[in-house]
Amino acid sequence: MLRGGPPGARNAPSLEQINAEVFTLTYGSIVRQLISDFEDIEEVNKQLEQMGYNMGIRLVDEFLAKAKITRCSSFKDTAEVVAKQALPMFLNVSANVANWSPDQTECSLILTDNPLADFVELPEEHRDLKYCNVLAGVVRGALEMVNMEVECRWVGDMLKGDDCYELRVKLKEHRDEKFPYKDDD
Amino acid sequence: MTIACVAFIGPQNNPMYLRSLEPASDDQYMKLHYVVHCSLDAVEEKVLLKRGPGDVQESYLGLLYPTEDYRVYGYLTNTHVKIIVLLDDEAPVKDDLVMRVMKRLHNLYVDTTSNPFHKFGMPISSPRFDAALESIVSVYPRPGGSVGGFKT
Repeated sequence: MLRGGPPGARNAPSLEQINAEVFTLTYGSIVRQLISDFEDIEEVNKQLEQMGYNMGIRLVDEFLAKAKITRCSSFKDTAEVVAKQALPMFLNVSANVANWSPDQTECSLILTDNPLADFVELPEEHRDLKYCNVLAGVVRGALEMVNMEVECRWVGDMLKGDDCYELRVKLKEHRDEKFPYKDDD
Repeated sequence: MTIACVAFIGPQNNPMYLRSLEPASDDQYMKLHYVVHCSLDAVEEKVLLKRGPGDVQESYLGLLYPTEDYRVYGYLTNTHVKIIVLLDDEAPVKDDLVMRVMKRLHNLYVDTTSNPFHKFGMPISSPRFDAALESIVSVYPRPGGSVGGFKT
């Protein structure tokens, strides 16, 4: 993924960077290839999500190691960290957290700029494609590794004419930390 | 100086985009196609004549030739995509102005082909491209806009 925070960002560790266009075009080629391989848009969405999930479960370790953050005390904290620290670190954009549900278990990450989708114009026959679905998978995978079971889905997509990219994140379960060893070991 | 028509021609002289910036009938489109088609010879001539050994080809080709109604300007990218612009004014044309338009059209073309869903070398059909092209061209006043797609 794209590495490196914006210059001057808080706590931005110096990570290797890659050219944004190389990154964007690479992702575009992957999506196109998936479409020609699977031919079914729903399946492509699923594959993108799965790819993102596989990234997320690895990426979270790197994030925790390199970002100087403290433990999150609530899901609200977590959402802020994802939006304001994790996304800038790996994608060089930050998101806003908004639209909290009354019980504080569901919120939206709002992106107005998305390097994944630069240059992209969704053709009519691919209306159902969730072009950035890989991000939904990354968030789900990363949070799962820190014991939060979440469900992510896109509810706003600038490629489909919305004002912003809106990723709805819903906390399904907050599991206790489990250790793989028993007490009497 | 007003821009009457913008055309993008591929490396094999395949038409990729042709658009009249004024309302045009099918007949007029035929005429524009004809003018642009003829200009391709002029492009070739210019490139061949100019190129000496070790010369670096300038992208902007300048005035290719004048017709009765238009002045035809050309631009050749490094990948041999030709951008042809037809100007339809008697007033003197500022060369650097045309050059700027060409540069911006070139950038627009690059951005459009970077779209993963664009089929490379195929005619360009994209609402975003149309809109951006209009805004580039609208820097130069013209009598009235129109929506005219790529017609073959």
